[in-house]
Amino acid sequence: MSEEKFDCIIVGAGPAGSTAAYELARQGLEVLLVEKGDKPGSKNMMGGRLYCYSLHRIIPNFWEEAPVERRVEKEELSFLTEHGAMTISLDNEVLGEAPSHSYVVLRADFDAWLAGKAEEAGAMIATGIRVDDLLWAGGKVCGIKAGEDEILSDVVIAADGVNSLLAQRAGLRGELRPEHVSVGAKSVIALPEKTIEDRFCLRGNEGAARLFVGAGTKGAPGGGFLYTNKESVSFGLVFNLGALIKAGVSVAEAVEDFKFHPAIRPLLEGGEVVEYSAHLVPEAGLAMKPRLFTGGMLVAGDAAGFVINTGFMVRGMDLAVTSGALAAKAVIAAKEKGDFSADTLKIYEDFLRQSHVYSDLEAYKNVPELLEEPDMYTTLPALVVDILTDLFKVKGNPPERVQKMVMRHIRQKTSFWKLAKIGWKGARSI
Amino acid sequence: MRIIACYKYVLDEQDLKINPENKTLATDRAAWKISDYDRNAIEEAVRIKEQLGATVVALTAGPAQAKASLKDALARGSDEGIFIQEDALRGADPAVTARILARAIEKIGDCDLVFCGEGASDDYAQQVGPRLAVLLGWPVVTYVNRTQLEGSLLKAERKLDNGMELVEIELPTVVTVTGDINVPRIPSLKQIMSAGKKPMQTWTLADLGITPDQIVSNLRNESVKGAVVERKRQIFKGDPVETVSQVVAALIKEGTI
Ligand SMILES: Cc1cc2nc3c(=O)[nH]c(=O)nc-3n(C[C@H](O)[C@H](O)[C@H](O)COP(=O)(O)OP(=O)(O)OC[C@H]3O[C@@H](n4cnc5c(N)ncnc54)[C@H](O)[C@@H]3O)c2cc1C
Repeated sequence: MSEEKFDCIIVGAGPAGSTAAYELARQGLEVLLVEKGDKPGSKNMMGGRLYCYSLHRIIPNFWEEAPVERRVEKEELSFLTEHGAMTISLDNEVLGEAPSHSYVVLRADFDAWLAGKAEEAGAMIATGIRVDDLLWAGGKVCGIKAGEDEILSDVVIAADGVNSLLAQRAGLRGELRPEHVSVGAKSVIALPEKTIEDRFCLRGNEGAARLFVGAGTKGAPGGGFLYTNKESVSFGLVFNLGALIKAGVSVAEAVEDFKFHPAIRPLLEGGEVVEYSAHLVPEAGLAMKPRLFTGGMLVAGDAAGFVINTGFMVRGMDLAVTSGALAAKAVIAAKEKGDFSADTLKIYEDFLRQSHVYSDLEAYKNVPELLEEPDMYTTLPALVVDILTDLFKVKGNPPERVQKMVMRHIRQKTSFWKLAKIGWKGARSI
Repeated sequence: MRIIACYKYVLDEQDLKINPENKTLATDRAAWKISDYDRNAIEEAVRIKEQLGATVVALTAGPAQAKASLKDALARGSDEGIFIQEDALRGADPAVTARILARAIEKIGDCDLVFCGEGASDDYAQQVGPRLAVLLGWPVVTYVNRTQLEGSLLKAERKLDNGMELVEIELPTVVTVTGDINVPRIPSLKQIMSAGKKPMQTWTLADLGITPDQIVSNLRNESVKGAVVERKRQIFKGDPVETVSQVVAALIKEGTI
């Protein structure tokens, strides 16, 4: 490296940035990875579920060495009313088959590990440093500014997360719109290993992923989740920010109330909150995608809005990994040409288009519209819970015919027409 | 002039949790850091260097994971980092630590001034500095709040319980510093980058000519337990004027005010 200039500076040591740094360093490029947290992962949401396929393509069988918690082999989706819950539960060992499986990870550990891989491969890592601005020369980005320090590079990859300052500074996107993001509030609740295994019917390293639709968000669009770690559970709520503002619900209050829901309380009993934090999730997918490149700069991961929120899963880390790797591939192509103009770097978008990132985002692009549907969070959970309650309850009265009972609930709570509309939206979007 | 700043790599006390059943400390999720007052020690050495010109060597002894601290110590302005790797040092007797550091300082050689923190942020034994001075045969100035170097004369202000003491001392000397002496810098990007290029060395006890029998600890750590302070759970209700005086009376009784 000539003293002052790197091939590539990557801002943000989340999954997108660390993967890009790893790929570039492995190819022998001079890379600087800058992270504002004291350690990679220290600023990240503490727990989440990592779908393995994408990182497996870069570091085969990474789960054998990475700090992962439990392998998900149990999926549960619950519809909640104020007092009740209707849960669909799937146990299948197939869910745990590599590499199409998923692990629950604690981000502080996982992100630090991945950044460590990049460092091992030869990337220089600087933590505790916030990048404040980009440097420009001849209409192209040519480095970064952090405090008083200016550091030059051929390319900057902005992997600085949902609220990407750099994409904004480069004029690639405007301010985030409330309806394009969700706010997630998450806590890690410590429980003994044995308790977790007993409570969620898990053996050894098996893990459970649970999602909750309905009362948790007080009827606002969003959902609850609970993932089992080894000795804790990651638990929280995700709300669409636009809807949250409209509904005037307090996130902290909703999380507290949610803990006392009859379906949740026994799962958390005796647990101790060890960490709490809140974070934004981009969720408008392609609708919020910024321009992904300009001369001397690329945008990857959450900074590019690459998250899929289907209501029954949040996927961001796997897309961050792939987009980080593809950004690295584009930088390598540009380096071979010795040209870092927008014209060369636009190959990044071609790579994305050929990858699962765009096809996944395309496939789920109508989901936000379904998720905006208020009936999803009030009427539907009430319908399924009440119908099944009537089905199972023996009152000693002459029984109502099932078909009639179902009709009655539908008429009371909604209409066939409305249900059909949601059904159609659902079919169209998933 | 060569200045040595000694530091200890410790668990961040903010991350420590107390296991509710047996009051033992849960350290598995705790991060490591350079002990707080030792950061002041490094900072003071670097400030003197910046004013008067000197070489600052950051010196630490500890188990394998402490090696990761060198980059931080160098980013804080030290010119060289030396790490003495010895796993037995986990929770060691300060006498043993001092013995190892003294040997290392002799090996580095040609040194005029050694800075230590007044105590480590984990056990705060406040012993390493004074013991080190004895082993080196040097004087020691403890709890120093301000330094001023004039040639080979050090003027130091000591912060004591009942006042300040000004001392003048000829180098070489060991100085232990308080947390008030300076505000340790937060390394900038360039400082972090340059840290990677500065010389770092790892020594073993054998390199220092120390045999295992010389580091046998006289101090045995039986257990470390968290103290849980129970709340008094007193609630005062009723007429505000009366309750306030009740609260005041209760606080006086407890010796809080
Ligand atoms: C509540 C919640 C639950 C989620 N659950 C899941 C899940 O189960 N599965 C899943 O796949 N995804 C999940 N996600 C989404 C996932 O967290 C993100 O998609 C993923 O972290 C994106 O990775 P990234 O590398 O793009 O960005 P991030 O992980 O956000 O990393 C960006 C990094 O950049 C750093 N940074 C930012 N600005 C600067 C700056 N100016 N200078 C220096 N550094 C900077 C930050 O400190 C951060 O470390 C969830 C998100 C939330 C909020």
